[in-house]
Amino acid sequence: MFDRGTVPATDNKNKTAAVSVKDLRKCFGPLEVLKGISLEAQEGDVISILGSSGSGKSTMLRCINMLEVPDSGEIRIGGEMFALKKGRYKTEPADRRQVDRLREHIGMVFQNFNLWSHMTILENVIEAPVYVQKRSRAECVEEAEALLERVGIADKRHFYPAHLSGGQQQRAAIARALAQRPRVMLFDEPTSALDPELVGEVLKVMRSLAEEGRTMLVVTHEMAFARDVSSKVVFLHKGVVEEEGDPAWIFRNPKSERFKQFLSNER
Amino acid sequence: MELINGYLTLVGFGETGWGALLLAAAAMTLGVSVCGFLTGTILGSVITFMQLSRYMLLRWLADGYTTVLRGVPDLLVIYLFYFGGSAFLGYLGGLFGYHGFIGMPAFLTGTLALGVVSAAYQSEVFRGAFKSVASGELEAASAVGMRPWPKFRRIIAPLVLRYAIPGLGNTWQLVLKESALISVTGLVELLRQSQIAAGSTRRPFEFYLTAVVLYLIITWASSMTFHRLETRTLRGTRRAL
Amino acid sequence: MDLAFMWETFLTLLPGLPLTLELAATSILAGGILAVIICFIAVVGGPVGRGFAQGYVFVFRGSPLLVQMFLIYYGLGQFRPFLQEVGVWAFFREPYWCAVIALTLNTAAYTSEIFRGGLQAVSVQQVEAARACGMSGPLLLQRIVLPIAIRQALPAYGNEIILMLKATALASVITIMEVTGLAGKLIADSFRAFEVFIVAGAIYLAITFLVTRLLMIVEFWLSPHLRMKPPALT
Repeated sequence: MFDRGTVPATDNKNKTAAVSVKDLRKCFGPLEVLKGISLEAQEGDVISILGSSGSGKSTMLRCINMLEVPDSGEIRIGGEMFALKKGRYKTEPADRRQVDRLREHIGMVFQNFNLWSHMTILENVIEAPVYVQKRSRAECVEEAEALLERVGIADKRHFYPAHLSGGQQQRAAIARALAQRPRVMLFDEPTSALDPELVGEVLKVMRSLAEEGRTMLVVTHEMAFARDVSSKVVFLHKGVVEEEGDPAWIFRNPKSERFKQFLSNER
Repeated sequence: MELINGYLTLVGFGETGWGALLLAAAAMTLGVSVCGFLTGTILGSVITFMQLSRYMLLRWLADGYTTVLRGVPDLLVIYLFYFGGSAFLGYLGGLFGYHGFIGMPAFLTGTLALGVVSAAYQSEVFRGAFKSVASGELEAASAVGMRPWPKFRRIIAPLVLRYAIPGLGNTWQLVLKESALISVTGLVELLRQSQIAAGSTRRPFEFYLTAVVLYLIITWASSMTFHRLETRTLRGTRRAL
Repeated sequence: MDLAFMWETFLTLLPGLPLTLELAATSILAGGILAVIICFIAVVGGPVGRGFAQGYVFVFRGSPLLVQMFLIYYGLGQFRPFLQEVGVWAFFREPYWCAVIALTLNTAAYTSEIFRGGLQAVSVQQVEAARACGMSGPLLLQRIVLPIAIRQALPAYGNEIILMLKATALASVITIMEVTGLAGKLIADSFRAFEVFIVAGAIYLAITFLVTRLLMIVEFWLSPHLRMKPPALT
């Protein structure tokens, strides 16, 4: 299941979901941010997660790779569940090694790119494959250069993040995530920190990833992307899944009041 | 228990206690530090003025001053003022027919040496603080036709001081600790007094430990004071930190 | 300005230079290691560890180095019988080792604060990105946290090195004949304070200058990511 090969072809007979979230709950102090969220992503699904600020969408995404630890609930990656243990004040992962191991197969793209400032773009992209996954450096460099070519910044590979525009940095971050050969990719508002004219180049890359069948969970405000590229849309409100469904249908026939209001605000 | 009793007799205020002398010496430490610090403030302002001047020669001299005095050990500066001062005084005395050794007064040596070194550090603080003052406020003072001295006293100095206080707090602590070096000239400040007591009673550990504690009390009180000063002078400003 | 005398002075002071450099190098090294230990205690020791680290820094930064030196050199001499029993007296009776210990303990306090500042400067975001691809523990420290922290702490640490070089002069007060010690003796003998000051000062300035240059090279070498590329290279 976790061989480090290329992205597995979409196999409809494969019943185990790539990502499965059951009844996720999380409080930050007195504030209950997630109130029992459940979600499933099959191989090849592109799920857009929408919601206004405070709805818990980023928190939920960050729980999937344990950057936030939920208070209760189940999170499964390819059928394997993150083992949790309830401490005196908070819940913690029971097995740190499992967390690291599963994270190797989850590629995360952050809102603020989070590239390592002291390394060149190429070094950023090969860091995880070489030092975490322990693959051969030559192989990783070759793959990294191909990935950078694919996202369109191959000529910038020996530059440092500070020398790149926001859009270029985010594309580099996507290449970095792809270099892990991940099973699932998580995008946390990937275009929210970009100037409007740079958003397009990043969305183009994300669209091409979706078209090749990658499993993606994307928290976003880009309605066009949600409508045209995703296979499923999930709308969160105040920590609960308010509405979910096929984008072609859901955008034209919103059921809940709040989703209707959200759509009119985003227009 | 008797250890503590013995200790208290030693440093206490009784017949054989050195407490009173130690406190007097601590006062001397504060005295020479304050004088040295203020000397440094005045001299430091002059150096800053030179550093910001239009004339390259002045800037060059000022930078040379700070480089030398921040790069050379304070002890050497003290030796310079003590022995050099004595030699100079002896030379002056010779002009008047006196051919003996005229020792440079230790307090004066201390003040000058501390001041001269501190000026180098304080000028850096003032320079940074001056740069932090919005040029608009200074321009406004010129625009209403303020003459140089009132402008300095009422606008520049208060504004610069506001940003300089944290840095000055640091340099004050430096002066306080450097004052211990003046003991080599014989000035009876805290370290020298501890040395005398230690030699007399053959109990150096207790006295030097007491000296450490007394210095800690002084530095702690100083940082409290400066902290309060900071909060007061920063009233009415918004700072990121 | 007697140049012949100044040349003689230079030759008189030169033998003290190795001692100055030795004292500085030993205490900077030992102090650096001790600072790492203190930081470690502060990070993993919980509130007790933090309290210890804060207390240590307060004591050694709040009191003069000279007093600390006296305490160790003269003060510990009071416990000679006990130290002889434990077998370390030969060590503590040497002014050289007492000076090294005092300098080490002192610089460790300042250096640990510098290291702490460097670690705090590592942004959460970059650590998160590393965690998100499966890095943790020593790997995370070595590949991400330390490289960034070191680059951040370098200017302040360089400054501390310079201060340490100057601090070695205090060892002359406990009879160690390094440069300042020899200078002091020469001034007392010859009464020509000004010329000796110039020569001794020049020696210290030369060392400081070299160290500063070296640090600038290291800083330059470690920070290509902070330099702007000329626009021609696109």
